[in-house]
Amino acid sequence: MFKLVIDRSLCSGFGACVDAASESIALDQSGLAVALVRETGDPAVLRAASDCPMGAISVEELEAA
Amino acid sequence: MSNPTFWLLARASGVTAYALLTLTVLAGLILKSGPFGRRLRAASVADTHRFLSSLALGAVAVHGLVLVLDSTVKLGLGALLVPGLSPYRPVAVAFGVAAAEAAALVAVSFPLRKLIGHRTWRRLHWVAYAIFAAATVHGLAAGTDTSRLLVLYLGAVFAVVAAAAWRWLTRTPKGETHVQTRDRPLAV
Repeated sequence: MFKLVIDRSLCSGFGACVDAASESIALDQSGLAVALVRETGDPAVLRAASDCPMGAISVEELEAA
Repeated sequence: MSNPTFWLLARASGVTAYALLTLTVLAGLILKSGPFGRRLRAASVADTHRFLSSLALGAVAVHGLVLVLDSTVKLGLGALLVPGLSPYRPVAVAFGVAAAEAAALVAVSFPLRKLIGHRTWRRLHWVAYAIFAAATVHGLAAGTDTSRLLVLYLGAVFAVVAAAAWRWLTRTPKGETHVQTRDRPLAV
């Protein structure tokens, strides 16, 4: 599982994250990225984080319960 | 001899616009590929990219305006807007007109991201490479002092090609993700 954190103060609305992980991230009305889930098993969020030129997305691997 | 003020202003603003366009492209490539890591804040680079693009478009506008006012090449408003209508070096000027209009289109697309979609907006940014190439051809072929500015053009092309190559070489291949240690975020 991955914990997804988006620093919206850094987001510029490039939208590359949405292309990479559309089930976990979307752009809101103001055009900024918003996390649709706090935790996900989808590794696409790693791609979303690496594609963000602003470094606004961080992904942390959670300890297995 | 007619007053050369507008002609000199046209040359100066043209060279300035080309230098600013080059810096705009370089800032965009640095933002995307991050060659300096955390030493450069992405937000600062993005702001610089936008600021430089505005300055470049301003210089292009001055370049076109003073060419219309100048009597050396007798460029009309139509020739300023439609590629190929210039009586002076029509092909070379057409490259400049097309580059300027495409640059304006890319700039206008920024506030229209929601309307056209972020994917279309980012794809439109690929036109920047064509804009830079067309501006280079325009500068080399239309300028009257190309030989004295050859170092500028060669340096600009080298810098953009090198930065684009760096971006391509350091890109994350599709389907590949970062795998890092557990004591820090996997991806930031």
